[in-house]
Amino acid sequence: MVIGRCRVCLVLFFLAFVQMPQASHAGPIEISATNKPIRFGLTAVVVRENLRFLDQWAYYLSKKMGQRVEFVRRRSYREVMDMLESGSLDFAWICGFPFVQKRDPEFIKLISVPIYHSKPLYHSFIIVHKDSPHQSLKDLRGKTFAFSDPESNSGYLYPQYLLTQKETNQEAFFRKTFFTFNHAETVEAVAEQFADGGAVDSYIWEYLKEFNPELADKTRVINQSPAFGFPPLVARLGVDMETVWRMKRVVTNMNENTDGRKFLKGLKLDGFGDFPPSLFDNIREMIVKTRNAQPNGNSLISNSDLNSVIKK
Amino acid sequence: MMWPSRLPKGLSVKFALTITVAVASVAFAIGAVMVTLNWQRFQQELENKALLLANSVAVTAPADILQNDYWSLYKSLKNMAKKGTGVLRETQVITAMIIDPKGVVLTHLQPDKNPLGMPLAHSNKTEERLLNAVKNLRSPAILNNGFGSSGFLEGVVPIFSDEKILGFVRVRLSYQELFVKTQRSAIIILGLTAALVLLGSLLGTAIAKKITRPLAAMTEGMEAVGRGELADIKKIPVSNDDELGILASTFNNMAQEMVEKKSLEEQIAVSEKLVALGRISAGVAHEVNNPLAGLMNCIDTLKKHPDDPELVERYLPLLDQGLNRIKNIVESLLIELRTEDAISSESSTSLEDLRDIVESEIKERGIDFIWENHLGEDVLINRPRVQQIVLNLLKNSIQALNDKGTITFRTFRDGDCVFLEVGDNGPGIPAEIRKQLFDPFFTTKRNGTGLGLWIVYRLVESMRGVIEVESEVGRGTQFLVTLPTVEVRA
Repeated sequence: MVIGRCRVCLVLFFLAFVQMPQASHAGPIEISATNKPIRFGLTAVVVRENLRFLDQWAYYLSKKMGQRVEFVRRRSYREVMDMLESGSLDFAWICGFPFVQKRDPEFIKLISVPIYHSKPLYHSFIIVHKDSPHQSLKDLRGKTFAFSDPESNSGYLYPQYLLTQKETNQEAFFRKTFFTFNHAETVEAVAEQFADGGAVDSYIWEYLKEFNPELADKTRVINQSPAFGFPPLVARLGVDMETVWRMKRVVTNMNENTDGRKFLKGLKLDGFGDFPPSLFDNIREMIVKTRNAQPNGNSLISNSDLNSVIKK
Repeated sequence: MMWPSRLPKGLSVKFALTITVAVASVAFAIGAVMVTLNWQRFQQELENKALLLANSVAVTAPADILQNDYWSLYKSLKNMAKKGTGVLRETQVITAMIIDPKGVVLTHLQPDKNPLGMPLAHSNKTEERLLNAVKNLRSPAILNNGFGSSGFLEGVVPIFSDEKILGFVRVRLSYQELFVKTQRSAIIILGLTAALVLLGSLLGTAIAKKITRPLAAMTEGMEAVGRGELADIKKIPVSNDDELGILASTFNNMAQEMVEKKSLEEQIAVSEKLVALGRISAGVAHEVNNPLAGLMNCIDTLKKHPDDPELVERYLPLLDQGLNRIKNIVESLLIELRTEDAISSESSTSLEDLRDIVESEIKERGIDFIWENHLGEDVLINRPRVQQIVLNLLKNSIQALNDKGTITFRTFRDGDCVFLEVGDNGPGIPAEIRKQLFDPFFTTKRNGTGLGLWIVYRLVESMRGVIEVESEVGRGTQFLVTLPTVEVRA
């Protein structure tokens, strides 16, 4: 995906420019030029598209880690997962859905879960346009529907699960569906009535309610999922224990200093906490139920959707 | 502005108007052509823009269509619309869409009214016609729909993948831009036209002024010539050597020559007057001097012999004669100054007195006298003057006839004039002396004073009449006096 790569280049470009002068006056950070930077993968789970914010946060993390941290943004979870697997990413902020998927061999491990409204939990929201007459998912039969990412729990898995509960699937139920690869853009698609309905991350939707009410106020929630484990931070298994441990400590301690709280506030999070992988068990159960109900039984993702993701 | 005050106002206005109208029509014609050309150019630009915008979407569309990535399609449409709207908001992307070959919406800028995956809603005949036209297109094209304020054009680009048609990008641009741009250029052109017209009218006025100024001056000059006030003619400035310049310089030359001629004439008149005065003075001196010598001689003799009664008896008549002669001359010279005669008027029958005088004079000579007085009693004449005129002329004829011939006197009236005609069949007057005929002291007779015809001339002139003379050597002479009746009656 050309656009995604460009965005990464841009991030790198800005990091190179912004970080160096700051490093020179912000005191000693032991970032050796020969040291490989820590590459941290981000996806649409982070709302802030503000490069400055990300640069500053990367700078903060670098300072705390004593090693340069680079954010690497990719459009889809699949890309991030592939990069983790190939070793080109050390850490990533992914979704509970890819986290709980079975991998052989496993190449990631949970390091921290964001705490949102005092809990490491969030929901999936099914939204419609505020003027829409639809009151529940079943009203959206024959309509258009926007998913965020084929490997997003809140933006894809949960609505799929709902459809299987109604003993149907997306192709039979909806007229047309598409992926926006970004929760915020799902909100936009619904707000502009390009899609009749959409599935989004409750955290993102509420975030938009606060920071972009003009957009979010054009949508209305018609269905709220049970609580799921919040999209977690994971580390590649190949990363040395020391770095993983430091990263875990850095993010967990963010709410203990002013700069860290500033970034948490910007992210609308209370902090990062240490939680067991069982936090995501209900997602795994949902995958199982959905897979069992799918006609082909192999994948949640239809072939056409899969193709599109791979191509990108 | 200083307009020449006289006649040329009309001409200058005409000039100015003609040039203004000419400039205005040319400027407006050029302006209209330019506006039309601009319109065509802007339309071409707009069409190119529509195709360019549609193409920009069509380039990335095939992959998105094949992957059902409707959101990407929608975003590329939105980006295109944003790009197409331009900084000045002059281009209006009314709408844009991507439809599949069957006319099903793949993405639309107004998704609420044109939902994804539904056949394109064609609300009216125009839309239906356009849709059918689009479906048959296999290469990029421009579709037009009317030129009104709601008119638009549509750039349509078919989307292919491996020669299979996937759909069409339709980008609809409002003609608003065309109107706005054309209006903007029309305003500029109109401004230029107005400036040209203004310039033209100023130029026209200037040219008109330039042409008419010498004409006005010439008119004034000619009027001055008419009044005879040659001194009033101002020299017309000769600005250049065109026709007007030549005319002005010719006029200046003519005026100059007239002034010179007049001054020459005045000089001649003065010198002629001086000559005449000299001649009169010499005549008077001569005529008075002649008897004076005799008179002085007589008085000297009488002084020497005061007691000689014979001498007294002999010289007294001579003294008397000489003094009378001087008295006659002086009286003749003063004739027109006797103003008491001027208002006297009597019936024309008073002329009959003269008949007797003349007849008694010629009785003993071989002269025939024909008298024809045709004036009625109602015609009044200035008796002393007219009698003097007729008497002098008749005497002249008698002397000319030398006791042999015929004298004719005739009077008649014609309209406002009274005619007095005195003729004889005498020897006639030689041509060389005819010019001096009325000069004072000019005479061909030994005893003549040379004042008779001069007195006639002055009397006729005093009554605003005319005297003419016709003469042929050997055949006779005829004087014709014409007097206005008004004067006669007065």
